[in-house]
Amino acid sequence: MATLAVDRKSALRRELEGIVGRDGVLSEPDELLVYESDGLTLFRALADFVVFPTSAEHVAAVVRLANREALPFVARGAGTGLSGGCLPAEGGVVISMMRMNRVLDVDYDNQVAVVEPGLVNLHLSWAVGPRGFHYAPDPSSQQACTIGGNIANNSGGPHTLKYGVTVNHVLGLEVVLPDGEVMWLGGKTRDALGYDLAGVFVGSEGTFGIATKIAVRILRKPQAVKTVLAVFDQIDQASAAVSAIIARGLVPAAVEMIDQLTIQAVEDAFGCGYPRDAAAALLIEVDGLRAGIETQAERIVAACRESGAREVRAAADEAERQLLWKGRKSAFGAYGRVSPAYMVMDGVIPRTKLPYVLGRVNEIVAAHGLRVGNVFHAGDGNLHPNILYDPRKPGEEARVVAAGAEIMKVCAEVGGSISGEHGIGLEKSDFMPFIFSAADLAFMQSLKAAFNPTGLCNPGKVFPTKKSCVEAGPVAYRPHAIEERGLAQRF
Amino acid sequence: MPPLLEKLRAALGPANVLTGVDLSPFVVEGRTPAVAVFPGSGDEVATVVQQAVAAGLPIMPWGGGTAATVGATSARAGLVLALKRLDRLVEHEPGDLTATVEAGMTFDALQSALRARGQWLSLDPPDGDRATVGGIIAADASGPRRHLYGTVRDLLIGLTVVTADGAIVRGGGKVVKNVAGYDLPKLFVGAYGTLGIVVEATFKLRPLAEEERLLAVTFDRLKDCGAAVRALLASDLLPNAVEIVDAAAGASLGLGAPALLVGFDGLREQVDAEVRELAMLVAPLGGRDVTVLAPPTWPRLAALARAAVASPAAVMRARRRRGSAASAARGRPTPASAPSPGCWRPIAKRRRWRPCSPSGARARAPAAVTPRWPGRRWR
Repeated sequence: MATLAVDRKSALRRELEGIVGRDGVLSEPDELLVYESDGLTLFRALADFVVFPTSAEHVAAVVRLANREALPFVARGAGTGLSGGCLPAEGGVVISMMRMNRVLDVDYDNQVAVVEPGLVNLHLSWAVGPRGFHYAPDPSSQQACTIGGNIANNSGGPHTLKYGVTVNHVLGLEVVLPDGEVMWLGGKTRDALGYDLAGVFVGSEGTFGIATKIAVRILRKPQAVKTVLAVFDQIDQASAAVSAIIARGLVPAAVEMIDQLTIQAVEDAFGCGYPRDAAAALLIEVDGLRAGIETQAERIVAACRESGAREVRAAADEAERQLLWKGRKSAFGAYGRVSPAYMVMDGVIPRTKLPYVLGRVNEIVAAHGLRVGNVFHAGDGNLHPNILYDPRKPGEEARVVAAGAEIMKVCAEVGGSISGEHGIGLEKSDFMPFIFSAADLAFMQSLKAAFNPTGLCNPGKVFPTKKSCVEAGPVAYRPHAIEERGLAQRF
Repeated sequence: MPPLLEKLRAALGPANVLTGVDLSPFVVEGRTPAVAVFPGSGDEVATVVQQAVAAGLPIMPWGGGTAATVGATSARAGLVLALKRLDRLVEHEPGDLTATVEAGMTFDALQSALRARGQWLSLDPPDGDRATVGGIIAADASGPRRHLYGTVRDLLIGLTVVTADGAIVRGGGKVVKNVAGYDLPKLFVGAYGTLGIVVEATFKLRPLAEEERLLAVTFDRLKDCGAAVRALLASDLLPNAVEIVDAAAGASLGLGAPALLVGFDGLREQVDAEVRELAMLVAPLGGRDVTVLAPPTWPRLAALARAAVASPAAVMRARRRRGSAASAARGRPTPASAPSPGCWRPIAKRRRWRPCSPSGARARAPAAVTPRWPGRRWR
């Protein structure tokens, strides 16, 4: 699929090796294959090169080279993204940030850490943990995903209900702009003068440049944590409990909902103690000072009982708490027990619309002859319907995509959004008109042009494509011949 | 000019287009605008912008006028686009903890509407009786409780703006978590109206706390307050605000000494526990007594402190003192926020101190507020 002539490609390879060293460039098709998709395997595309810079100077030099050669380029973290955001254009350069993974500086007095973008999210919390601090944004992929990737997607996680998303914790960034210039946006304090370009950069999905240093807030770990599991016989009761908790003036750290199909998959896989016959369960966490934490937990228990919970219990100890969270955070993996493949959807709705939208999701998926598991951030109204399917059955994937589009339409209709934390990437670029007008998109285009006038930096993302361009872009997944013959299976 | 006036009158109605002596409230540093208009909807704002741009007239968006003296004044007489007729609370859904409000609504009006339903927008900007929602966004105004609850950028989740070419553009949305498209709301926070005119905004809200208390701890020396701030921030306590007042500002609060002001909120038993722990924390650091200030409203404190330092000389003294106190609070000799090499230069308007404006009322009280955020840069 590579687009470069052989002699030009080897000349470029030598030049890239001159920048990042001989062991920092991949160009063989079998090596590049690893980088042909992210966590959304529906879309795949092969780059010409994958390079592994170790400094901002390396990144800037690679970007300047790409500009000179008019090659598209895209930054990549751990590749855990779920919207195809870090896919290369056909050909071009993937700039992997995985070797820039250091914690550069931690200022405990001012509660700021400066890190490199390839640092794994959880590793930052490990690094500052011994001094009693943590990094609050905790996407479910936090064991693998990088801070740089979190910047691109403005990632959330279960605890965003209380602590906010990535942008609320980013103070400043050193970035390599799409023309190769290196500059700081924001700083190490809360207020930077002038426009909040750091705030705009976060969530720009790699289309505004490449972050090479990131100043983030670190918070003191809460003194006490209390986790409550509420079990419901009807999914509507669980939705009502979410509203009842909010109506009591409580802001828990997290309110997660898990439906029956997901509970059964999790119990099959890990045995985390969720009752298998429940229609839905809520996992609710409060944290903060030791004083008052029991009262908060009691009020949450009361709200759940009033909404019709069959059983409400608080985790007795840290081990039980960890087990409950393991069930929640491993739910996606557990779907492997019940289906060969699934597609994660990501939509947001005003939380008061939860009962209606969950009903609609189930109707839509059933109408397409498919099954859905729901495990999501109910407190934020951030849905994650996971549509289960078998990619070996012809036509099933197309039905999944069609059902996904209908679900996004419902989210838009009730005043929600088409992505809460996974990003638009390639997956949803054509859904953007569901929530944005032509004028809105034109303004965003002009903002993109200010950062990225040539369009070489992560092309083809975020904005809707014209139908004619779709065929030239990355291709949808098709099963390999050996998969069709049942000799190999894709996970 | 006259054809523009006629067009504006036709579009908005004659009562909503002011000229001549009626422009006196909009005079900034002796400069009188050419015309002031009061559009009543986002569409009318767009019409005004299109007409002004066609006529080559600079536009100055105007909310409550509380920050009108910030930054450079326009070199040419322009059009004041006042948003005070856009003053409705468009939508407040308590169950969603969100509210959508028009830009011309004053902050206090919004806050009291939300409070009536048990919620609040967790900002406490100065001059809330006059400052408008749009102006607060444009000036990135916030107050002491930003310490825990963040600033405008952390709370603004969606907005509608009229851009310089008269297009109506929406960014963000009405949901608390949203990564669809670029985060346009961030672009307009603190942009002082230089990128477009905010006509509607959607915010994340918080439930009112069961109990809120504001405490003052007095110290013999200002620098001891700084040491106490470090100890407080290194503790498990969760203050919603941490401020230092010097002796002069402290006197206006009836304290008579430099003091550390600390706010706590939450359940009653939480606040009680925090107050007890604070007392134990500050005692060995020279904290003399912990008193509860009532009523615990930050705007009132700001007004009192402002009165205490009304004279320009006092303001200058306070500024010098503030500088040393801020360094002490950070425990380091130089500001942590010194621009690093390669740091970008500010491009939006820079806030200038105006301690001695002719009316004397514009001087903002610098003495009452010191370490809003550790290592915070003042502007």
